[in-house]
Amino acid sequence: MVVDKLDALRQKHEGCTALAFADLSTKMILVTDSGSNLRREALDALCAEAALLLGAGGKPALADKPSDRASVVTTGQLRVFLRAEKEPNDVLCCICGPMMDSDAFVADAHTCLNEISGGE
Amino acid sequence: MSEPDALAQKLALLVTREPVNKTGARVISEGEEPAPIAAILGAIDDTVLERCLIFSCGQATVKVIAAGRRLRGIFDVSPQSDAAIIGQVLSREEPEALQAAHDLLQDICGKADRITVRSTPPEPFGQGGERGISAAGLAVLWDVVIDTGPKPPIAQFLKVNATAFSSVLHVRKGEIILTVGDSEALQSIWTTQVEAFRKAHKKTIRGEEGAQLICLSGAFDDGSAAAMALYEDDIVLVAYDAESFDNLQSSWRRIFA
Repeated sequence: MVVDKLDALRQKHEGCTALAFADLSTKMILVTDSGSNLRREALDALCAEAALLLGAGGKPALADKPSDRASVVTTGQLRVFLRAEKEPNDVLCCICGPMMDSDAFVADAHTCLNEISGGE
Repeated sequence: MSEPDALAQKLALLVTREPVNKTGARVISEGEEPAPIAAILGAIDDTVLERCLIFSCGQATVKVIAAGRRLRGIFDVSPQSDAAIIGQVLSREEPEALQAAHDLLQDICGKADRITVRSTPPEPFGQGGERGISAAGLAVLWDVVIDTGPKPPIAQFLKVNATAFSSVLHVRKGEIILTVGDSEALQSIWTTQVEAFRKAHKKTIRGEEGAQLICLSGAFDDGSAAAMALYEDDIVLVAYDAESFDNLQSSWRRIFA
């Protein structure tokens, strides 16, 4: 179950507060972890941010080419957006608290996303 | 220094954002910003009541006794040293001892990438009337400028991560004020992409303002990552080594939190 994988990732990383698996081609959140309580508007905004930062439709947000990993750090939050290796429209949107080991989290989140995207 | 100046300096210190870690150690220099000896003198200059200040850089530590914004002397160092200056009360009357103290500090901390300080209860040291020498006086003798005010946050961020950046474009109020490295690609981003991106991004985040660091891995054709830092009137575009992702994020949080 996709939600189980998202729940496991969130449980492993205490600073993670919400996870959402999305499809960039339709710009829709498909599933979230079971603990997140984001409203529909917030999910839509998260997906729109993912589409912008990861360059939906092949248009880079900034520079030369769309990224496979984007992040936004604010004073209170770290948002991370990851693209699946084999299916470029499959993305994982992550909301975390500001204090986070981002390298470790991103590595686990990538694994989680690729498993979900690959139907494992 | 006049009392109003001293008061202004203390107020400036109070608004600095030097992080304190779990052990109570405060980072006073990172990436040689400020310069290590200046940072050490700055910490001594902040010390009014008698304290033992423990400066740490890597595995090395230097314990000094400070009071009344003066350095009384170097109490101990680790790894152990047989330097004769250890344990001596400093005095203006003994310039060679002052130079020896400088040389020892420089030898241990002079090239440190990161220095922390902990303030601990004083240790017995010298005689009661031996006051040492003021941090300001040492700064003059050692030709060091004590940094008395906080640097702008963006400047701190650029300094701390300088080695990770291959190019930098710093814009303030729409004017380019600094370029580092080959900034041609960043200038192109600034003139052709930034405005549209910011407009689109503001829509998605629904008015969320304040300091932001946006990182995009592999955004350049050569594989390097792009980042845009936003703070008040400053916009900074950088090309950076993607392996520095965690360092960039953590330094941003530390400086802007």
